[in-house]
Amino acid sequence: MELINPTSVFNADIFSSVLVMSQVDVKVVLLGSSGCGKTSLVERFLHDRFEERYMPTIGAAFGAKRVKALGKILKLGIWDTAGQERYKAMSRIYYRGAKAAIVCYDLTDADSFREAQFWAQELLKQEDACKIYLCGTKADLTRGPEGGRNRRVDFYAPTDFTDDVNAGKRRKPHDSEELFQAIADDFISNPVNEPIVQELPSIHVGKDQPRPSGTWSSVCCSY
Amino acid sequence: MDGSATFVELDRSVGPGCSEVSILDPNESSFYDFVSDEEVTERKQEEPCEDSEDSSDNPEDVDAVSEDERVVRSLRERDKLVFILSEAGKPIYCRHGSEEKLVSLFGLMQALVFCVQDDDDQIKSITAGAYRIAFLNKGPLIFVAVSRRGETPGQLALHLGYAQSLIVSVLTAAQLKKIFEQRRNYDLRKLLGGADRLMDNLLDGLEQDPAYLLGAVSCLALNPSVRDSISDAIVRHCAKLKNLVFAILLADSQLVTLVRMKKYMLHPADLHLLINLVASSESFKLSESWTPICLPRFDANGFLHAHVSYLADDCQACLLLLTVDKDQFFVLSEAKQGIVQRLRRYKCLEAINRAMKNGGYTMQDVNIPEIRHFLYKARPTAQYTAPLFSAPYDDSYEKDRLLALYHRMHQRMLLPGSQRHLKLVYVVGKYECLLCWVTAFFELYAAIEPLVEKEAVIPRVEKLLNWIKSEESRLFILTSTTF
Repeated sequence: MELINPTSVFNADIFSSVLVMSQVDVKVVLLGSSGCGKTSLVERFLHDRFEERYMPTIGAAFGAKRVKALGKILKLGIWDTAGQERYKAMSRIYYRGAKAAIVCYDLTDADSFREAQFWAQELLKQEDACKIYLCGTKADLTRGPEGGRNRRVDFYAPTDFTDDVNAGKRRKPHDSEELFQAIADDFISNPVNEPIVQELPSIHVGKDQPRPSGTWSSVCCSY
Repeated sequence: MDGSATFVELDRSVGPGCSEVSILDPNESSFYDFVSDEEVTERKQEEPCEDSEDSSDNPEDVDAVSEDERVVRSLRERDKLVFILSEAGKPIYCRHGSEEKLVSLFGLMQALVFCVQDDDDQIKSITAGAYRIAFLNKGPLIFVAVSRRGETPGQLALHLGYAQSLIVSVLTAAQLKKIFEQRRNYDLRKLLGGADRLMDNLLDGLEQDPAYLLGAVSCLALNPSVRDSISDAIVRHCAKLKNLVFAILLADSQLVTLVRMKKYMLHPADLHLLINLVASSESFKLSESWTPICLPRFDANGFLHAHVSYLADDCQACLLLLTVDKDQFFVLSEAKQGIVQRLRRYKCLEAINRAMKNGGYTMQDVNIPEIRHFLYKARPTAQYTAPLFSAPYDDSYEKDRLLALYHRMHQRMLLPGSQRHLKLVYVVGKYECLLCWVTAFFELYAAIEPLVEKEAVIPRVEKLLNWIKSEESRLFILTSTTF
């Protein structure tokens, strides 16, 4: 997984991801079925706001934010993609070269989890260097006395799935901030990224404690 | 031109069919009666309360057929409907209703199209009492409009053509063709998810916005020097970018400026689709977007990639940069930043804001009291100007009535497909008089006080033309800027 695939198919991608790197340090992409809350997640992280109305994303929206992680400053360039079926065919434009992907599913919608599995498989096939974060959304709707009935994605479904693809660890970030922080931390501590990390501006002197990380993370969050 | 008789107009050019065939019972009063014969005698006002009885008293009786009927009945209250279906009869879209519940109605539309096609002919329209039903069978899709708003078949065909273009703009003609070649009964709604907003907005616009009628766009009124420096800022930051085809700045669905690659033109119909996309997608306001879009008149089979962003939080004008290169996002993003900086430095953002806040001009500004409203299209540049709707057209009923008049007059002046172009028409109506004047350079439709003498009209209209001439450099984009 650490090795860059040398086949010609990927050459173009490596090139483009280098181009991207000169603009933003870490490319993060959000994928998942339409209406599952990708934009809300990003909006909360970037601008700390929440829009009640549903405004479907057209194509993909880009936003960037600097985060501190393990003593380094890096910029997350976030691609929030449209969930509609018709963009699937060209989703590669958006996710290639991504260092992390947040694959979202709606905890109250079983179909959205099936779609999340599709995206995860797709990324596993196409993007060796991309770390995948499975993210269950709308957890607030599944809480409370009535909430249990709303839940359509079984608690064990994500873990079963990550077991199937031979990876996974469960985390529980409480908000989008923590989720993106986890992504940044993982990126910094991943030895593959060392050459890039070395060039990042540090915010304090001292050796950072590397943290263990698996290829897969499964997270649930609400916002 | 239309009585109680129902007749069908066929396209003679396609086959040996007759141009008018009475295939329907002339006693039937509307299109929807085909579906449920027993309801012919029902009064429309009674329907809603009967519906509620149906559903509350004996819900078990509500089977698929009566559900269909109920939806059809609710559709009857609408003045205008548009349906889209595949050639296999699969429902795709219905304005003002859920297409799912109209399966039998869609089946009927499909049958109408195909039974005429079997005779090597094409159905174009049906007139049934006050209703007009227009058909457009293009590619793998069938478009049907049903209206009692008095549009001519030509206008309904124009509307359906726009609906077709919208679908192409989302999917491309090539993809559309391929999908249905692979699976004839494919459910296209899957691929059009989210596009119904665009379609709803487009169909509303076709009725309310004269831009579609005239085939022209309106420009944000700006001093020519401001507009020039905006165009200049765009050229400065974009001229070196390869593969950038169009740069378009829109404010409130009006054109601020358009810069294009020298060898390409942007068709007004394509620009309408872009304006519609921006107007119906609020999500663009949240952040920079990068989206594929097909412009059917530019290239129906390929996508352009659009960088879409609003200029700034304090200036809600939307910049579209269209390129053929799918990897150019960051380059365009940088160009946009440069453009905004320059516009800020030269105080162009304020100028745009001021113009947006003004919102246009009224007939009072024009100061010709005998003229109540007008549409003026500069034909060579496909741009138009019109004052805001003021009294007596400031309420929606009167406004709709005037727009309908414009529609009718437009149809009379420029019959599409015919050689006959009228030059000057003056109509004395009950509530206003209309003067329509078409030359090689302009089209003018003016609503005039009903009591003005005919002899006095021409001098007034000439005064109006002089006023437009004097304001021309603010109201229109006179020079086209290229990379």
